[in-house]
Amino acid sequence: MSALDWLPTLRYLLLGTFPNGPLGGAALTLVMSVVSALLSALVGLAGGIALSMTRGAVHLALTAVVGFFRAIPVLMLIFWTFFLMPMLLHIDVPGLATVVCALALIGGAYLSHSVQAGIAAVRAGQEQAALSLGLTRWQALRYVLLPQAVRIMTPSFVNQWVSLIKDTSLAYIVGVPEFTFLANQVNNRLMVYPVQIFLFVGLVYLLLCSALQFCATRLLDGRWRRNTPDAHSRITRFPHVQSADS
Amino acid sequence: MSNWLEPKYVGWLAHGFLMTLLLSACVIVSATLLGFTLAMARNARNGFVTRVAVLYVLVFRNSPLLVQLLFWYFGAATLLPQSWMEWLNTPHTLSLWTFTLAWPPFEFVAGWIGLTCYATTFVGEEFRAGMRGVKDGQYQAAAALGLAPFGTFRHVILPQAIRIATPPLAGQYMNIVKNSSLTMAIGLAELSYTSRQVDTETFKTFQAFGAATVLYIATIAAIEVGLLLWKRRSAHAWQRGTV
Amino acid sequence: MKIRFAGAVIMGLMLAASSAAHADRLDDIKKAGVLRVATFDSNPPFGFVDPKNNQIVGLDVDYARAVADKLGVKLEIQPTNPANRIAFLKSGKVDLVFANFTITDERKKEVDFSTPYFASGTQFIAKKGVLKTPQQLNSLRVGADKGTTNEQQVRAQFPGATIVAYDDTPFAFAALRTGNVQAITQDGPKLVALLANVPDKANYEISPFTISNDYEGVGVPKGETRLLNVVDDTLKGLEANGTAGKIYDQWFGPTSRAPLPRLFKIGDPQKS
Repeated sequence: MSALDWLPTLRYLLLGTFPNGPLGGAALTLVMSVVSALLSALVGLAGGIALSMTRGAVHLALTAVVGFFRAIPVLMLIFWTFFLMPMLLHIDVPGLATVVCALALIGGAYLSHSVQAGIAAVRAGQEQAALSLGLTRWQALRYVLLPQAVRIMTPSFVNQWVSLIKDTSLAYIVGVPEFTFLANQVNNRLMVYPVQIFLFVGLVYLLLCSALQFCATRLLDGRWRRNTPDAHSRITRFPHVQSADS
Repeated sequence: MSNWLEPKYVGWLAHGFLMTLLLSACVIVSATLLGFTLAMARNARNGFVTRVAVLYVLVFRNSPLLVQLLFWYFGAATLLPQSWMEWLNTPHTLSLWTFTLAWPPFEFVAGWIGLTCYATTFVGEEFRAGMRGVKDGQYQAAAALGLAPFGTFRHVILPQAIRIATPPLAGQYMNIVKNSSLTMAIGLAELSYTSRQVDTETFKTFQAFGAATVLYIATIAAIEVGLLLWKRRSAHAWQRGTV
Repeated sequence: MKIRFAGAVIMGLMLAASSAAHADRLDDIKKAGVLRVATFDSNPPFGFVDPKNNQIVGLDVDYARAVADKLGVKLEIQPTNPANRIAFLKSGKVDLVFANFTITDERKKEVDFSTPYFASGTQFIAKKGVLKTPQQLNSLRVGADKGTTNEQQVRAQFPGATIVAYDDTPFAFAALRTGNVQAITQDGPKLVALLANVPDKANYEISPFTISNDYEGVGVPKGETRLLNVVDDTLKGLEANGTAGKIYDQWFGPTSRAPLPRLFKIGDPQKS
């Protein structure tokens, strides 16, 4: 096949059947990643705050729930949300939504853990100082603890979002036409170019993840570097921060 | 949804679970060894070695595991010469006294290689973080005692680095167990694969996936418990003054 | 205030319940103006992606389009592999399954089937000269598709065979090509079409024996009798006015890539 013959296939891989059909391919992967990232950030913030501010039975229950979502493989959770949620809840959930839901839940569980750790890291002196100034616990959280905690937690968020981009490839198992699914379709049709196709797929994901990592580093670090004279890059890969598919 | 699974299908799930455990154990061993090597390479003084290691981490960490597995099984297999593929696919057995070791099917081998390459990057990073966590003072104290660099590394730095790295390493081992579920895409009959098989044959979706989920969580919990026991034991050791 | 709110809720629930009692899937389809159908995307000529316009075309797609035209709605295709067919139907993500769906008694407990529109038998592809008799299967590694009757039949009839199940037929064929399995199993017509589209077809052959007789029908959600009747009427109508024959000729006729004589017409009596 000449180079020109690959062009329509390339377009298919990047955009799917859009505009003659739903969005697919690498574009859908990007959309799914962004939506899951935002949702998981919300879930993570809420969960982390809840974990920090509760105690006793509620805290234990929350820890168990967060632990469950960190222990279950992403594939299994996608099976649950895809096959069982509609049957149990009798609502029709489109395939795309089930995958986004699963990714948001798992990402949110990991981020709750990070948020809780971040809040705990700044808590001791800052919370007492804030309380002694007359702020309530929630005001202390909102105005004093969270801003500082978020700065510590930013590397975890970036790592988690990069993991999300990779996890969207699992949507292939349930028939969502994202990039890996379409690449497999093309490979099934052509049959004799598996090496080239899978290398290309790997390269595109590599570019996406590295680009996100790079942008986040420049964006967030640049701001800090202006504020603190001797700050070095805080965006390192924290491998001990658990990610769903790290 | 009210009946339990028949024994035949419970047997399938059990086989799948054993396969998951076996694959995870093999990957944990190989990834730990290779990850340690990778961490050494990252800290090497030779610039070329360092750059190769950085490139390896970049490539294998930023692409999805599913794509890597598909590449190893369907792609790499076409690159190997025909005779190698034939050898890899015929069953070989090795008899040691009463044990007979059978050569695993190619799905297992491809899954092992793919998972190891992927997990090595993360395990390597943990080891690096562990080595970074050892305070500078330790190097100076060892030098003051007259230890050569290799002796320093072996007797002073490495034990402390491993201790620092162990909790996050346990986390990576848990990730290895969870990531083994992806090998179902290349036909390896591990737990996710068999739970799907049971579901398509019996239509008892809840029971099949429920059992698989419980087994995965039990395995993760077991690693967590192992970590807790290790922490308690090492805490005692610290207090007694032994390492 | 509270009583008024409760009253509104009860009214709402009653309305919803009453409308639910009458609306069924056929009404939903007509109201939405869209018939959602699950078809294959990697199994020529039943359902595959046409590289010219990247749309899914095939024998099953043509039949599905006929049903959509009969209902006067648009056709929306959800690509699927054999493993996800039933899940898509049961979870309500599609209204019908047009994916070479074999009729079995176990499946009848979960979904309803239309009158059969295709007949086939389970066959095997292997490298030339490897597979001559069925008994050899007991010593071979056989590739199959997850969620198909072929896999279940081979497991039941040849307990000594090692079955490796992949997500779809092209994956199994890729495994055959690299030697990871020694034979693959699928419906005969699918294998004929698969081989016709493969660049190195000279190295493979379809073994001369069949191990089953199967009929394929349209998957319909359980209990949707009105929808089932529409599908049955459409299929019988297509056979009566010759369209079914034309559709078959387009994909399996003498001028197609994988010619196969038509042995089963819609409405023919089934061999048990």
